[in-house]
Amino acid sequence: MSKKAEKIVLKGRKVIGGVAEGEALVSKVPMMGWGNVDQKRGVTTERNHPLFRIPLKGKVFVFPEPRGSGGWIFYGFTKFYGTNPVAMVYRKGLALTVLAALVMDVPCVTDLDKNPIEFIETGDWVKVDGDRGVVEIYKNGKEKSKR
Amino acid sequence: MRLTQAEERMLNGEEGYIKKKAMTFLVRYGEAAGAERLIDLDGTADFHPGLYASWFPETAITLDEIKELAARGERFKVPTFGNKPGSPAFIVHGWEDCGVWPQNDPDCHAEYLARMKPYMQMGMIPALSCDYYLISSFLPTAGQHCAWGESSAIPWVNAILGARANYDGCFEAAYLGKIPAYDMHLDENRKPTRLVECQVELKTDMDYDLFGWAVGEKIGVEVPVITGIGKPTYSQLVKMNSTLNTGGQVRMYHVPGLTPEAPHPGEVAAMKFKEKYSIDRNDLKKVYEKINYASKRSVDFVYLGCPHYNIIEIQKVVSLLKGRKVRVPMWVMTNPWTFKMAEQMGYRDTLVQAGAALLSGTCPGMMEGCMPPADVIATDSAKQNYYITGFIDPRPLQAWYGSVEDCVEAAVTGKWEGQWS
Repeated sequence: MSKKAEKIVLKGRKVIGGVAEGEALVSKVPMMGWGNVDQKRGVTTERNHPLFRIPLKGKVFVFPEPRGSGGWIFYGFTKFYGTNPVAMVYRKGLALTVLAALVMDVPCVTDLDKNPIEFIETGDWVKVDGDRGVVEIYKNGKEKSKR
Repeated sequence: MRLTQAEERMLNGEEGYIKKKAMTFLVRYGEAAGAERLIDLDGTADFHPGLYASWFPETAITLDEIKELAARGERFKVPTFGNKPGSPAFIVHGWEDCGVWPQNDPDCHAEYLARMKPYMQMGMIPALSCDYYLISSFLPTAGQHCAWGESSAIPWVNAILGARANYDGCFEAAYLGKIPAYDMHLDENRKPTRLVECQVELKTDMDYDLFGWAVGEKIGVEVPVITGIGKPTYSQLVKMNSTLNTGGQVRMYHVPGLTPEAPHPGEVAAMKFKEKYSIDRNDLKKVYEKINYASKRSVDFVYLGCPHYNIIEIQKVVSLLKGRKVRVPMWVMTNPWTFKMAEQMGYRDTLVQAGAALLSGTCPGMMEGCMPPADVIATDSAKQNYYITGFIDPRPLQAWYGSVEDCVEAAVTGKWEGQWS
């Protein structure tokens, strides 16, 4: 992976349609649900986690996979408090992520041709096109992509 | 998704508003999951009964609608079991002894219980437990399609029983008898993808609790063949399953000689795995150290029973506690039917005389942190330990973890003395 590349495109599968963009917030390790999500604050409350108490609001939330209980749905409930991310991208999901994504109802892509965790870093500008299953990554900072 | 004509009719509202709502959920869910069709359940279903038993509060089948269905004589399509009550959770038995409001308020309890009625009228069996599969007196057989929930239950249904379920049990699935056909329902996703060799002799319940976590953390969402775990007891298997699904998201695994879909040992030797892992005593110790999240030796509350204790586990606590008194509140949580058995055997009285409480049907996590006031808790469950601090956040909570013996000693002395040995 080259950090100098201006734009990287990953192709995957739509979970939830729509288009959104924003700054990436990346977890290199799995995200845990149930008690370790506070939907009101829109944060993970998992002790030891790199994203402990870091708000997901407005971010493109990128992570490898879920772990733990079906209470993962609480990530979806962030929508009811306006603390939700604007889009989600994950390497591999299952019932937990699908159900949460449906509640959150923001553009969401998975099953990509490359592991998103190896290509997206926190702070990258990322555009998620849920309908086409396309994720565009802009390495050169926080300029908005051309619409 | 391809729907049958009957499914189309439900989706279009020709079978009434409630079926339309339920089918709309299943279709939205199936499409987001990448499923090609719905599958007819021929096994069992469960859900968390409460004000609703759906995944989405906004489009949930409401309690009034469920009452309407019950009044019309409608029934669940497959045998359906109540998991721990949710929205909100409550203590089913022993609430009089719990010492926490509103759980110990009789009116409140009556209201909670009344909420279960329409579900029961539709045929839900009120097992009301995370490990209801231990007591349900009816289980799916190998290959049957189910809709289940709960950390320890998902590996139980897939790996131990050889039936098939994703983590998606809900009212809609039980009512229509259908669920999207993807992931664990399909042969290709159940095959082993990783090998985990256990290089340590697992002896105690705590060993299996830690082992499950260590495996889950290493393999995440993959499907492992696990070798070298000896002959776990039921208590140990339940614990291992709960932590496989806490340290990771292991919904299916294979143990040659133990689980029905596992390859024979000879076949395992010939299989090619993308990754192989071995787990040794040091891996268990690392998990133990991670789970022990406390520095203050004084303990304010001891929690036992995650997943809900079986009768043998209760028997052990009773023998450890007999003739002694606890200094700090101690809850021993079980499922409602085991509660009755323990009560009949005099165990509830023994525990109450010792100052502890035997309870059923929920846990502090399910009640979103409701428990006796505590700055430091102790528990023998890695799962409960790791979630409860998250529920309490931002208030700090310290959480000790150890064997049931360590926990009972802490309850009696008010001090944590457990250590890695």
